[in-house]
Amino acid sequence: MELFLEQFPIVIHALNIGFLQTLKLFFVTLIGAFPLGLVIAFGSMSRFKPLSCFTKIIVWIVRGTPLMIQLLIIYYFPGLVLHNPIWGGGETGRFFAASVSFILNYACYFSEIYRGGIQGVPIGQTEAGLVLGMTKNQIFFKVTLLQMIKRIVPPMSNEIITLVKDTSLARIIALQEIIWAGQAFMKGSQGISGAIWPLFFTAVYYLICNGILTVLLGRLEKKLNYFR
Amino acid sequence: MSILEVEHIRKCFEGTEVLKDISFSLEKGQVLSIIGSSGSGKTTLLRCLNFLERPDAGIIRVNGETLLDTDSPSTTKESEIRKKRLHFGLVFQSFNLFPQYTALQNVMLAGELLAKEQPDYKARKKEIHQEIEAQAINLLKQMGLSDRMQNYPHQLSGGQCQRVAIARALALNPDILCFDEPTSALDPELTGEVLKVIKELANKKTTMIIVTHEMAFARDVANHVIFMDDGHILEQGDPIQVMEHPKEERTRQFLSRFTQG
Amino acid sequence: MKKKIAMTAALMMTLSLIGCGNTETAETTEAVASTEETVAEETASEESDLTYVLNKGTLVVGITDFAPMDYKDENGEWIGFDADMAKAYAKYLGVDVEFVEIDWDNKIMELDGKTIDCVWNGMTLTDEVTSAMECSNAYCNNAQVVIVPTDVADQYQDEASLTDLSFAVEAGSAGEEQATALGLNYTPVKAQSDALMEVAAGTSDAAIIDSLMAAAMVGEGTGYADLTYTIGLNKEEYGVGFRKGSDLAASLNNFFAESYADGSMMTCAETYGVQAAIVEQ
Repeated sequence: MELFLEQFPIVIHALNIGFLQTLKLFFVTLIGAFPLGLVIAFGSMSRFKPLSCFTKIIVWIVRGTPLMIQLLIIYYFPGLVLHNPIWGGGETGRFFAASVSFILNYACYFSEIYRGGIQGVPIGQTEAGLVLGMTKNQIFFKVTLLQMIKRIVPPMSNEIITLVKDTSLARIIALQEIIWAGQAFMKGSQGISGAIWPLFFTAVYYLICNGILTVLLGRLEKKLNYFR
Repeated sequence: MSILEVEHIRKCFEGTEVLKDISFSLEKGQVLSIIGSSGSGKTTLLRCLNFLERPDAGIIRVNGETLLDTDSPSTTKESEIRKKRLHFGLVFQSFNLFPQYTALQNVMLAGELLAKEQPDYKARKKEIHQEIEAQAINLLKQMGLSDRMQNYPHQLSGGQCQRVAIARALALNPDILCFDEPTSALDPELTGEVLKVIKELANKKTTMIIVTHEMAFARDVANHVIFMDDGHILEQGDPIQVMEHPKEERTRQFLSRFTQG
Repeated sequence: MKKKIAMTAALMMTLSLIGCGNTETAETTEAVASTEETVAEETASEESDLTYVLNKGTLVVGITDFAPMDYKDENGEWIGFDADMAKAYAKYLGVDVEFVEIDWDNKIMELDGKTIDCVWNGMTLTDEVTSAMECSNAYCNNAQVVIVPTDVADQYQDEASLTDLSFAVEAGSAGEEQATALGLNYTPVKAQSDALMEVAAGTSDAAIIDSLMAAAMVGEGTGYADLTYTIGLNKEEYGVGFRKGSDLAASLNNFFAESYADGSMMTCAETYGVQAAIVEQ
């Protein structure tokens, strides 16, 4: 017990640092994947066949392969095959490579949700806008967007919560997120070695984070309930 | 001069000809009813007038201005269509109100967006907004909805929704107001309130084209009736004459279904 | 239809190319190592690895948190016998040093992808390591030891007694080589620390890990107070790994010889209590 109390502040400090990295990756992914997903969704719905085919193939590849492999390819491929290690070896480079992989991966998942959302808004809404003399842009931003958001919030919430947990995959390219930080105490770090509990304790962080997200997303869903 | 002239409109959907050489005209302040069985091309004709479909051939003229002539490419430009649509208003069978806006916002939205294109918008922002709001409130009052302006569509009955949709279409002061089966999605007890509103508009000399299955209503409100069958105009003329003494066997058959009840 | 087939075929080919690229780098069989050698030589012909590091002005050292070789002090600064020697070597080259924590499984990819310049982390010179990397001379002795729960330790004091046990060993480690050589029944795990956890949790009966690590991590006063180490299975040596064909290895050997001769290596070793294991240069 005494040993535990002694270890506790050191471990929490290290886990906090790791979790900060987890959160950074989480938010950067969301900020990047929200708009990119929309671009991909429009690409796959495009009436210009080569473009829609191209985006559909990209989505197929990204959704059809494990994120872990994508991380390895995106981080190591430039240096190994092109002999040009664009990311560099430092923490920043690893973070960038992880961000790019996550944004691309999640944008593809988001694009499918967007597509369902856009196609789920009845065509009559667009036609009503058209006969009222609105432009395509006005119709999208003033009419369909909010209805689409309402439709995508529940499936999006699922993906967002999965993303929090998926960030742990980034440690395959040695991004030091919270699980990495927890595992470090097993092999020995900062004078603590063979401590197993920090690894399991990381679950508490994920739980709290996802608890907060669930409440926030639930509120958003409720807020959008003012219309049907 | 007629307010609307339609000449030789044709429209195909994947090889099936839905409109076969449609021509008619309409005078200002008059009401035209279009009747006919489902699939006869009534709705497609309305959609062509509102530029939701593009005719394969034909001419559409409003107030003498040629909006569309398939033989003259300058009239078929995509960028011009938006302005041309404003000559027409359209009330849909399924209302198509914007669910995230209140009744009042639904009526005001398009007007506010169009106002932004005015050169003096920035200077007169507040004034313009007040004008649009006053007009919208006035329209909703006419529709008998003064106590429903702040309600969202899902809080309104079908009849109320359709009346909001009519106010929304009127807000832009279209030359011609079109109705696409305005009461078909309503419970029978709710059709009366909508028909009453349309009748009032007719009394105020609003130019209207009404596609409907309400035969008695079509006869009472219209100055002119067109009977469509299989993409043709089979018969047209004075409502009493067409509907009570039809010349064509097809028209008689169609009408008998309604009189028998 | 023909077009569709052609397109699918083209796509499959692209995919399989990407796939090949990846497995080639992940696996470290000798055949693959030889192709990597040619790749390294190609790049070397353009610019030697030493020149590359000197031009860049930074030596990027791939490490893991591994006391007493590489670990962080209270200020978050990397210290340890390996870390201190790496700092001294960078000074000797006249470049900055940057420590990067890596995933041990990916060390060869990290080297070949030039995201790090060397692996300096108490790395045992196994056949696998020496065939995939250009390695320095050995600088430190180590052994593989068997870890068992303290209460049953006296039953397992010779190699013959180990056959009934289920082992946990780090995948690709010297411990795994020993387990294979002795025909032991084992489960490969991701890290030596995971192997220890397996024993502590009772999911494996025993583990094989580095003696230097065992000294630091098991027994009284550590997190694994109920574990102990019994017999040593072999002698082995630590070295520093560079890209295949790199001239940095020879340069480091010179540095090792100099610092051994002037006593600075021993002084450093004494700081971290590993002086007994140092190999004469």
